[in-house]
Amino acid sequence: MSLSSASNIAKSGLNTVSAETSFLSRNVTGASDTATYSRKIANVISSLDGSRVASVTRASNLAVFGNLLGATSASATQNAISAGLDTLNQTVGDVSSSSSSTTSNSTSPAALLSNFTNALQSYEASPSSVTLANSAVFAAATLAQGLNSAAATVNQVREQADSGIAASVQTINSLLAQFQTVNAQIVGGTATSADVTDLQDSRDNILSQLAQQIGITTTIGANGDMSIYTDSGVTLFQGGAARSVTFSSTHTYTAATSGNAVYADGIPITGSSAAMPIANGTIAGLATLRDSLSVTYQAQLDGIAGALINAFSETDQAAPGPDLPGLFTTQGATSLPTSTTGLAGQITVNPSVDPSQGGNALLLRDGGISDTANSDYTYNTTGDASYTARLSQLLAKLSATQTYSASGGITTSANLSDYAAASVSWLEAQRSNVSSQSNYQSTLLSTAGTALSNATGVNINDEMSKMLDLENSYSATAKLLTTIDGMFSMLMTDLGNLA
Amino acid sequence: MGLFSAMNASVSGMNAQANLLATVSENISNSNTTGYKQASTLFRDIVDQVGATGDYSAGGVTTLVRYNVAEQGGLSSTTSATDLAIQGNGFFLVDDSNGATYLTRAGSFVENSSGNLVNAAGYTLMGYSLAPGAGGVTLSSAGLTPVNINSTALIAAPSTAGTFTANLNSNAATLTGAPSFTNYTSKSSVIAYDSLGNPVTLDTVFSKTGANTWQIDVYDDAAPGTPLTTQTLTFDPSSGDLAPPSPTSLSIAVPGGVTASLNIASTTQLASSFAVSQATMDGNAPSQVKSVSISADGTLSYVFANGSQVAAYKIPLGNVISPDSLSNISGDVFQVNSDSGDLVIGVAGTGGLGLVQSSELENSTVDLATQLTDMIVAQRGYEANTKVFQTGSDLLAQLNNMLK
Repeated sequence: MSLSSASNIAKSGLNTVSAETSFLSRNVTGASDTATYSRKIANVISSLDGSRVASVTRASNLAVFGNLLGATSASATQNAISAGLDTLNQTVGDVSSSSSSTTSNSTSPAALLSNFTNALQSYEASPSSVTLANSAVFAAATLAQGLNSAAATVNQVREQADSGIAASVQTINSLLAQFQTVNAQIVGGTATSADVTDLQDSRDNILSQLAQQIGITTTIGANGDMSIYTDSGVTLFQGGAARSVTFSSTHTYTAATSGNAVYADGIPITGSSAAMPIANGTIAGLATLRDSLSVTYQAQLDGIAGALINAFSETDQAAPGPDLPGLFTTQGATSLPTSTTGLAGQITVNPSVDPSQGGNALLLRDGGISDTANSDYTYNTTGDASYTARLSQLLAKLSATQTYSASGGITTSANLSDYAAASVSWLEAQRSNVSSQSNYQSTLLSTAGTALSNATGVNINDEMSKMLDLENSYSATAKLLTTIDGMFSMLMTDLGNLA
Repeated sequence: MGLFSAMNASVSGMNAQANLLATVSENISNSNTTGYKQASTLFRDIVDQVGATGDYSAGGVTTLVRYNVAEQGGLSSTTSATDLAIQGNGFFLVDDSNGATYLTRAGSFVENSSGNLVNAAGYTLMGYSLAPGAGGVTLSSAGLTPVNINSTALIAAPSTAGTFTANLNSNAATLTGAPSFTNYTSKSSVIAYDSLGNPVTLDTVFSKTGANTWQIDVYDDAAPGTPLTTQTLTFDPSSGDLAPPSPTSLSIAVPGGVTASLNIASTTQLASSFAVSQATMDGNAPSQVKSVSISADGTLSYVFANGSQVAAYKIPLGNVISPDSLSNISGDVFQVNSDSGDLVIGVAGTGGLGLVQSSELENSTVDLATQLTDMIVAQRGYEANTKVFQTGSDLLAQLNNMLK
């Protein structure tokens, strides 16, 4: 120990305090960046000759960060479903705004059905009125168009979901590529004891973005190398290499179309056939929307359309011929449909009864809509202007119980208006369920975000008090140097004066 | 005669004090020289007459300059990984341009144009190459080669060992049909490297074949025809751990590479979803040297861009029986001589040798305050000697005047 080594020690003290101050100022400037910045900690060790900053670490809490990733994914799932259901909801209008009755809204299939039933009843009361016949057929055409547009909306929602999945897959692959770069830098930096804390922050940032798209879990190795797995255990990133996530998108959807599955590392992660299906993330939400909710709603609309065609079919009055589609049919149909799939999109009013297409609305009362040339399907053979038997029969059929496909997810046996109303309530129930889930998840997400910020974020008060400590330490060390300098000058001058 | 001997003795005293001042001057000028060991001037008396009783003839003093080579200097930290210091005994072995070996503690090494590590005085750091085919650590001066960190080389390493730890879901349904690449319960993958450094994706496919019984197949993802290995794993229903006779490691012939051993001993079967907790495999793709790291035992490792490290050189330390007797040569290097004893080469941290500290430099051992006080002492000593000489001279003058 000597004066020179004292001076060296003081110098190392100044260096250490300077380094700590630089980390402190990084923390203070990063304080406002709560999303990605974590508190940096300079680890000071004492050595033979004073002290030095041995390494830099950052405040981190893997468990809390894992929670945040989980909450991000779950929230993204619900948001994706919620957006799609909002679009589907346009087919029934905003029911919640008019609680009086669904019938007041003219866009829902249930409301259009009710309008049509009313028009048919009015016509039944005065079967000779051409005006009432025309308005009944007009109401029927509106109902058919309503179903067409609802079916089109469902397909549109599925197309959007499909392109959303494609975009999400692209985002995942690009994020994984970014992750690969940052991860390699972290592994390299860790091996050389470089400061990798900012890289770790940006890696966490990429993980948060990835969690938006797909539910993930992570594991971290000894050299800072991170592996990413989906919430179902499929490898996304391991051994410094990203696995590819693939998806071939389908651009046009009809009721019969089923979308392709998303593959990660060659393993299907969406769809009913997936062995390891993911639970959360935008992709999971969009896949549920595309493959489950939309398909169920489509089946309900098809069920309504099929029941309408059946209810208004005409039977052969003369011979045991086949039943033929009457008022409601599909383009060019010559027989009753065998399957309801896609009927909602195809249902139309028979041109022979539609005045706007040159048809005769009175055929509604008389029958023979299916084939005007074939008198076998004419009910009112005498041409009686007050004939109501066929109209009464139609109304009875309309309110009779019919069977529906189980794929509709609601009752399989009900009358048409009840079924249409049940379909509307089903959609509303889904929407309200998703909406409350979505609220819950976003609350959870914000709680997780706050927890992470508390655990790893910068507290300005702490930093300021640390700054005062550092300032004191710096001035004490500087004072030490002044004293050593004074001792040297004493040697130089006072001893020199002795000569 | 007494008077002349007194004057001669004072001249020898002045010489000795001048020597002391010279070493002080050398020390002060080298007070910031890395690895400098301070010189000290030792005084030794010279006796002219032994056992004289009458006339006395003064002897005098002679000096010996010694470098305190064994003294540890303080360490100060730097930012370069190739700045080296020794904490404890020993010296780095360095060569000059003619190939002669010297010892030094001045470790401010930097890479020169050919990749060799050269210190501020131009001496080249010597070590043992750990490359395959090189002599290895022979601990003799014959096997020493210049430490070269030329970072243009590409190095790939095939995978030889890895660890795969996962939890298999105990509640998973038993697989219907024979397990295959496409029919499985859970699946994951691990990246391995072949001999040329190509990544090979190994798919680890788990199929539940019965209660507490699983089959693991490892496939090459690029050619999933037949599995590279197939094993049956049975789990202890009381703990969920792998139970005998299940293998604890899989031997996988990596296509194009060597046979790698994948440790699966920690695999569990618990009532939780399939999750991989560790999947690592050594080996690396062709990668450039990004930097070097030097450990305390003197192992210099190349750090590749992908973070993997390969030990490339062992930097040995040399020592002698009497370090203070080493010959001092310009450039803070020392030469072994007959007084110092023979050079002994060893690995840092063993046999009484110190540790190599990377990113540190050893300060000069000179303490300015001591040197300044020594300077005053030398000045006063010289002054006293001149007084003696002057007195002797005065006496002679009086003697001369007597004869006038």
